[in-house]
Amino acid sequence: MTRWVMIADLRRCVGCQTCTAACKHTNATPPEVQWRRVLDMEVGEYPQVKRVFVPVGCMHCADPPCMHVCPSTATRQRADGIVTIDYDLCIGCAYCAVACPYQARYKTDRPTFAYGEPMPSEAQRFDARRFGVATKCTFCSDRVDAGLAQGLTPGIDPEATPACVNSCIAKALHFGDVEDPDSNVSELLAENQFFRMHEELGTEPGFYYLWDRAP
Amino acid sequence: MKVKTYCYQCVAGPDLLTVKVENGVATEVEPNFASESVHPGGGKVCVKAYGLVQKLYNPHRVRSPMKRTNPKKGRNEDPRFVPISWDEALDTIAARLKETRARGLLDESGYPRVAASFGGGGTPQSYMGTFPAFLAAWGPMDMGFGSGQGVKCYHSEHLYGEFWHRGFTVSADTPSCNYNISCGANIEASGGVAGVWRHANARERGMKRVQVEPHLSVTGACSAEWVPIKPKTDPAFLFALVHSMLHEQPRERLDLAFLVGRTSAPYLVGPNGYYLRDPATKKPLLWDTRSNAAVPFDTPQAAPALEGGPYTAAAVEVGPDHEVLAQGELAGETAFSKLVAHVRPYTPEWAQGVSDVPAATMRRIADEYLSHAQVGATVEIDGALLPLRPVAVTLGKTVTNGWGGFECCWARTVLASLVGALEVPGGILGTTVRLNKPLGERLKSVRPGSDGFMAYPFNPTDREHWSAKPNIRNAYRSMVPLAADGPWSQALGPTHFSWMFLDQTPPGLPRVTLPEVWILYRTNPAISFWDTDRVGEQMARFPFTVAFTYTRDETNHFADILLPDAVDLESLQLIRVGGSKFIEQFWDHEGFALRQPAVAPQGEARDFSDIATELARRVGLLEKYNAAINRGVAGVALKTDRWDFSLDTGKAHDAGEIWDAVCRAASAELTAGAESQGLDWWREHGLRTKAFSRRDWYLYPTFVELGLRFELPYQERLLRVGKELERRLHEHDIHWWDTQLTEYQALPAWKDFPGLWETSLRSMGGQPDDYPYWLITSRSMQYAWGGNVGMQLIKEVADNIAGHKGVILNAQTAERLGLAEGDLVEIATPKASVRAHAVLRQGIRPDTLLLLGQFDHWETPFAKDFDMPSMNKLVPMSLALTDATGSGADVVRVSLRRAA
Amino acid sequence: MTYGPKPWLQRHWDIRAATNFILGGTGAGLLVAIALAPQAAPGWRPMLALGLALIAVGLGAVWLEIGRKLRALHVFFNPWTSWMTRESFTALLVFALGATVLALDRPWTAQATGLAALGFVFCQGRILHASKGIPAWRAAGITPLIMATGLAEGSGLYLVITAGGGAVRALFALFALALVARALAWQRYRAKLGRGAPLNALEASAKWLLNVGTFAPLALLLAGLVAPQIAPAASMLAGAAALATGWHFKLALVTRAAHNQGFSLPRLPVRGSR
Repeated sequence: MTRWVMIADLRRCVGCQTCTAACKHTNATPPEVQWRRVLDMEVGEYPQVKRVFVPVGCMHCADPPCMHVCPSTATRQRADGIVTIDYDLCIGCAYCAVACPYQARYKTDRPTFAYGEPMPSEAQRFDARRFGVATKCTFCSDRVDAGLAQGLTPGIDPEATPACVNSCIAKALHFGDVEDPDSNVSELLAENQFFRMHEELGTEPGFYYLWDRAP
Repeated sequence: MKVKTYCYQCVAGPDLLTVKVENGVATEVEPNFASESVHPGGGKVCVKAYGLVQKLYNPHRVRSPMKRTNPKKGRNEDPRFVPISWDEALDTIAARLKETRARGLLDESGYPRVAASFGGGGTPQSYMGTFPAFLAAWGPMDMGFGSGQGVKCYHSEHLYGEFWHRGFTVSADTPSCNYNISCGANIEASGGVAGVWRHANARERGMKRVQVEPHLSVTGACSAEWVPIKPKTDPAFLFALVHSMLHEQPRERLDLAFLVGRTSAPYLVGPNGYYLRDPATKKPLLWDTRSNAAVPFDTPQAAPALEGGPYTAAAVEVGPDHEVLAQGELAGETAFSKLVAHVRPYTPEWAQGVSDVPAATMRRIADEYLSHAQVGATVEIDGALLPLRPVAVTLGKTVTNGWGGFECCWARTVLASLVGALEVPGGILGTTVRLNKPLGERLKSVRPGSDGFMAYPFNPTDREHWSAKPNIRNAYRSMVPLAADGPWSQALGPTHFSWMFLDQTPPGLPRVTLPEVWILYRTNPAISFWDTDRVGEQMARFPFTVAFTYTRDETNHFADILLPDAVDLESLQLIRVGGSKFIEQFWDHEGFALRQPAVAPQGEARDFSDIATELARRVGLLEKYNAAINRGVAGVALKTDRWDFSLDTGKAHDAGEIWDAVCRAASAELTAGAESQGLDWWREHGLRTKAFSRRDWYLYPTFVELGLRFELPYQERLLRVGKELERRLHEHDIHWWDTQLTEYQALPAWKDFPGLWETSLRSMGGQPDDYPYWLITSRSMQYAWGGNVGMQLIKEVADNIAGHKGVILNAQTAERLGLAEGDLVEIATPKASVRAHAVLRQGIRPDTLLLLGQFDHWETPFAKDFDMPSMNKLVPMSLALTDATGSGADVVRVSLRRAA
Repeated sequence: MTYGPKPWLQRHWDIRAATNFILGGTGAGLLVAIALAPQAAPGWRPMLALGLALIAVGLGAVWLEIGRKLRALHVFFNPWTSWMTRESFTALLVFALGATVLALDRPWTAQATGLAALGFVFCQGRILHASKGIPAWRAAGITPLIMATGLAEGSGLYLVITAGGGAVRALFALFALALVARALAWQRYRAKLGRGAPLNALEASAKWLLNVGTFAPLALLLAGLVAPQIAPAASMLAGAAALATGWHFKLALVTRAAHNQGFSLPRLPVRGSR
């Protein structure tokens, strides 16, 4: 089988927000909606302080609480692990948003634009279907699917890879099939130590954070 | 459709991208994936490039030429700009220029009547099309009215770095470096794509970076260790490292062969502090242990002594102005011995008291540095066997500028010399030159000079050639010998002097006059310089200002004519990429990249090249303008002995024609004349390169080939230049530069640098105890540079990073003062104050405050609503805080309290 | 606005969603109270209608909050896993049964309605429990707490309306038990609240819940027993106190204590060598 997952190498990320911006470009999200974003976290007390930059977004969990609570079945899970939202089914109740332990979902009630009135680039990509409903990171599933159809490898070939991964200037983000033992992500997980966010909640997220080489 | 172009918004570029165009609308930026194989940053572009679509469609853009109808200029005066036609705008400007030119290019003080200011550390040149040809055709122009360049940049590093090892900017050889001591170099925020990419790879490889900085910057966050040093005490830290290596570590751990053979360490220094020289040839002497005698430095088969003096020799000691200070049997110490003695007092314990860094930490770092240096190791680079020394000390802003900058640059380069990690794989590299020629070829700019060192185009300090009549208002040629006199030198002098001297020219210099015409592009001094209120007041006095304009801003508020140039995604230009350029842009390839319109210009914006051509024509400079382009001012010489794509100098050519010719010349250059593809080909491909030998990253092979030594550790030449300058200044009754003259030391001593800022406080009428906090700034990668403050997208993503919404202060300090997150606070000097919301963090010293970036906008749309102040309002333009090379620093002592 | 990484207050569900829990819980509780002793009060029919109306208004408030109002019927699509779907179906059942009670005037249908209402408030508790993003909602013990307060409020409302008249012993017993159950449920819930839950916002309401909403009404009931002449007033006051504190608590739970758990790092990255 296939399970698409993402890896963020915390040793490499510098918090530049390039992925945040690239995602917004590719997915034409409205202002303040950041399907991918990077947190700036501080741990400790002066002078023993550490500062870490943490990419977050939808974790495409294997056991997604959002899917269980969705009353309309708008939120579903593909066989390859990608958790999807059918904008036409969604009633915008935001139950999924409060069910998500990663704060990954957004709901924009009214269209807003960067400078009040839509710029041509915003007008060109305006999608009325996405207002009043839940939206989130899609792992750029349309790129993944289109790429696979052309025989490309998601995570390796840019056209088949999520925009955030493509854009990362530190090579901190990776995307691939964790069920394939020879894939890029499988290799990275084998060679490094990692954790997932809020693992104790049992959601089985599809997003891994590398923090050190394997011993 | 994806249009290929480049981004060079900041000096860490250029990087390559594509812009998707759907139905004639630009929508998405992506990396130019095809450039991955040649670009040192994996073919990526950083976050700022993603703001370019908004930059294009920003509704606040000035969409047509405008003229001012309110004759009064002032912060509170509405300029009442009205739209005019391009014809009227250009005719007005041309008429003004012609009238000015008719009265002579220089005014009664000898300064150019016309001034031009460009920001961005030279990057506007990659966006202004053929305008440099217009500037060249015009003649003398005053390009020294700064917006921060030459003063707030890596200034000391620029000048001293280029002097010592052709390093206008100095980088670690990151792909090979294993240990990096970084004093405030915020490389993860300022290193661009290439820097971030390489450092991420280095971390994965196991490179240890120690970040020595008052706050836990983005770079500190990504480092193995953070050392919270007190501001402006980095010289003490670095001196202590030198001390530890020379007094606490065995000599065998140093690269003695390098010191003896490649530096001036063995040169004998006489009783007056100058070299002992051979009486006949005047060559500096060293002590040959083989023959037990003093011999000229370039004596073959000599085995120079590194220490062990004093040594006596029949010599002559020559001081300033060729004066013989001593002759006969003179006793001399090696420069190395002098260095060892010089740093004896700079113990880690002493440095701890000054810098707040534990002595044990400094000892450990010195030890780690030596352990990682791999003295004696070699590596093969492109067929050549070179020394491998994978250790580097890098410096950042506020460390490399202002008082203490010289000391830090010197100490850093000495640290490199001690282990031979200078201009070799793994060590520190100069990446480009801006003061020596040719600009594009660093290695070729090395020419043997006297005493076994490189020649350097010092501004003259001898009686015959020094002049108290500077060529431009900031007087760099007279005051700063190290600034040389090339096209870039104007912006590398004390560019705040142009502003300061307008009110009062100091004695000895011709009265500083207002420029009769001021042209500006991609620069906003009213925001980015110091004492910003006052800078605005001065701009208001300029009689005629032409501003190439993106949106209304705090500087073009004072302009007479606004000209909307086509922005990044609308315009055409070909630039050189690769080879070895600023910051970490040293590639394994070199070539050219094209910037081309993704869409037609919005409104009536016009391509800069077309504006330049039109101006040239109307001013009557068309022939000279075209001739300059043919000569290569647009980037490539159009005519050589192997090809000729030169333009007809009598005709006005449009941008397409001009850049087609440039493209052809570029293709020819890349293929040694075999091919000559024009604009069409370049539009399709966007980029073309050929190999650039990695061996050419390093200056060391050139030094070996030419038999040169690095002019370290002893600065005999600087001592002499300084003394001569002192004499020239005093002969002309100029005494206001005397403090700065003290920087000209052969071995720089520690001065109470923090104390200088306390003195500055007192001169403002305050008491240091009342202003106990150090206010500093740091780069916001998301904004700097490129006018990004007006981009909604940039603000939105930048807000994810701490500090973009207020002043960063230590959480315990806040608790002590009863301040909670978000509270409005007042930060003040005796002269000015600003207000900010408190951002509580752990990663900052309790005595330090930080205001990120440069905000405080009051005119720029969108940015003026940020509610973010700038420290620029608080920092005075001060002669006392200006160092010998004319730079200052973004640091000031302030008070902090809850805002009333 | 940018949020995180420290926990922040969710703003997806505001007072409109809170209204659903407030009115729905009370309405369901009222229906359960009526089911215990149907026809005991003279105005029981309007009271039943009121119970149905409260549930309906609550659901209507939620309807005002959803982004796609015209698609409201999609809420029925996921009975397999979604407690919101189940709540909607249960509501339908409550309305259907309630309608038959009003139409047919049969006692057993009132009891069936009460049972369905119990199921409704149970679903409400489960809705909150399944909200994994909000520590204060997903905590163990939230469902008994929501159910207990619903019963306390509903039976409290019964007392307010009837001023204690028509309230047979079973009803007073229900009220008193619900009060005690609510207090105990709060203690259990509070004990099990893990890290990341904003106790401050809840503690204030809980204080009211315990003092004004539990001890005081119990004391008033006792007083009414001892001095029957004040019983009607005491009953009304007791019911009102239980009702008001319950509403206050649920409002706090949904709109002020509804912080997410932010983000946390169990390990920190090694940057280059150690």
